[in-house]
Amino acid sequence: MNKPLSDAPQSKNAVSVQPDWDVQELLERLEQDRVFLIELLTIFRQDSDKSITDARTQLANHDLPKLERTAHTLKGMMRNLVMHRAAAAASDLESAARERNLQRATTALQQLDLAMQQLLPEVEAQLTEVKV
Amino acid sequence: MKILVAEDDTLSRVMLQKSLERAGYEVIAVNDGARSIAALHADDPPRLALLDWVMPEKDGIEVCREVRSHRDRPYTYLILLSSKESKREIVEGLEAGADDYLTKPYDEEELKARLRTGERILELEDRLVEARENMRFQATHDPLTSLWNRGVIEELLGREIRRSQRENSCTVIILCDVDHFKQVNDQYGHNIGDDILRGLARRLQRSVRSYDMVGRFGGEEFLVILNRCDPDSAMTRAENLRAVVAKKPFPTRANPLPVTISVGVALSNDFQQHNLEEILAAVDEALYSAKNAGRNCVRRAQVTKPQATNEAPQTV
Repeated sequence: MNKPLSDAPQSKNAVSVQPDWDVQELLERLEQDRVFLIELLTIFRQDSDKSITDARTQLANHDLPKLERTAHTLKGMMRNLVMHRAAAAASDLESAARERNLQRATTALQQLDLAMQQLLPEVEAQLTEVKV
Repeated sequence: MKILVAEDDTLSRVMLQKSLERAGYEVIAVNDGARSIAALHADDPPRLALLDWVMPEKDGIEVCREVRSHRDRPYTYLILLSSKESKREIVEGLEAGADDYLTKPYDEEELKARLRTGERILELEDRLVEARENMRFQATHDPLTSLWNRGVIEELLGREIRRSQRENSCTVIILCDVDHFKQVNDQYGHNIGDDILRGLARRLQRSVRSYDMVGRFGGEEFLVILNRCDPDSAMTRAENLRAVVAKKPFPTRANPLPVTISVGVALSNDFQQHNLEEILAAVDEALYSAKNAGRNCVRRAQVTKPQATNEAPQTV
């Protein structure tokens, strides 16, 4: 349970490799409180879903100021949960929106979608495992 | 200790709240700037606050400015939380009134250490305020009786007389002196004399309205100011003060001792053209009339011609 859940390929030459989601680090921050972990992941599942939907709408409407704010919220949420890869994608989205670069924002949102596609099953697995 | 957590992101807020509750804080959590200001302006508000920079309604910077604009309130230690980390933004946050700044994601131990710093500063602030209030009290009150001291009661009298002239109302000035007080000191000692003075101060204070004023004027002399008083009841009220003193012996560290006072009374209406010094001289003269009349009685000050000066008629 305390190992990183990501199956992402890791460089053999890297001295320290950052997992996509460091659940061990998160649990340390939560003082191994698994009930609280469920509470946080439940909030994340609900809030991130809404924020990603908002981001898509804002990008479609070319509303980059609002997109910047939404990406900022996502970034904070993901950093709190030590979701490195998704947080980096949200950060890229935020900076692209801040620079009003629609093309870069589009790419960044695709990256964020990919990160979320990988992350959400892991979140569900954690929720199931902890509940059992 | 109470702490305000203002954070619009639910997940961040819940995490912060849990972490602070584990550290022993009583957390008040809100999700926007307007609610932060309401919480910080409520009765018994939190003195420590963690404010997210980016929030709906009012952001953390606006909350800092609003809190700092109320200088009369107890100090609140404000920490801004944000992922903004450029020097310009940090300076903007501190200039708006934040005491400290933490960038997200913050380290929990660092956050707790910074909160302890905030608590130390608040403690120091409380000690300074307490010391200032003590000094203010000592500068304005008589140390034995805790009544207003002479300087203050004279100043208050001047203010009340000016007000009664403006409002065409009546201020009653009552000067009381303990009868045979020297004998009390000589016979029973100064400690017993001090007990009498303290007891008399309490009894006078309890016998007047909350907005009347009582001060220690000299050794065993007390000045009572009754503002907005009906002139027809002035002598009755002075007589009541005399009676309340004479009614029961005063408890002392030895045996209870009977005490009486002589009382001089002046009504501001009678002294429209007199200055403060002349009014005090007149009430002092009335007090000595009461002494000469056998003590334990009340006498009213007689109006005398104002002292001639080269200046225009002087009022208080």
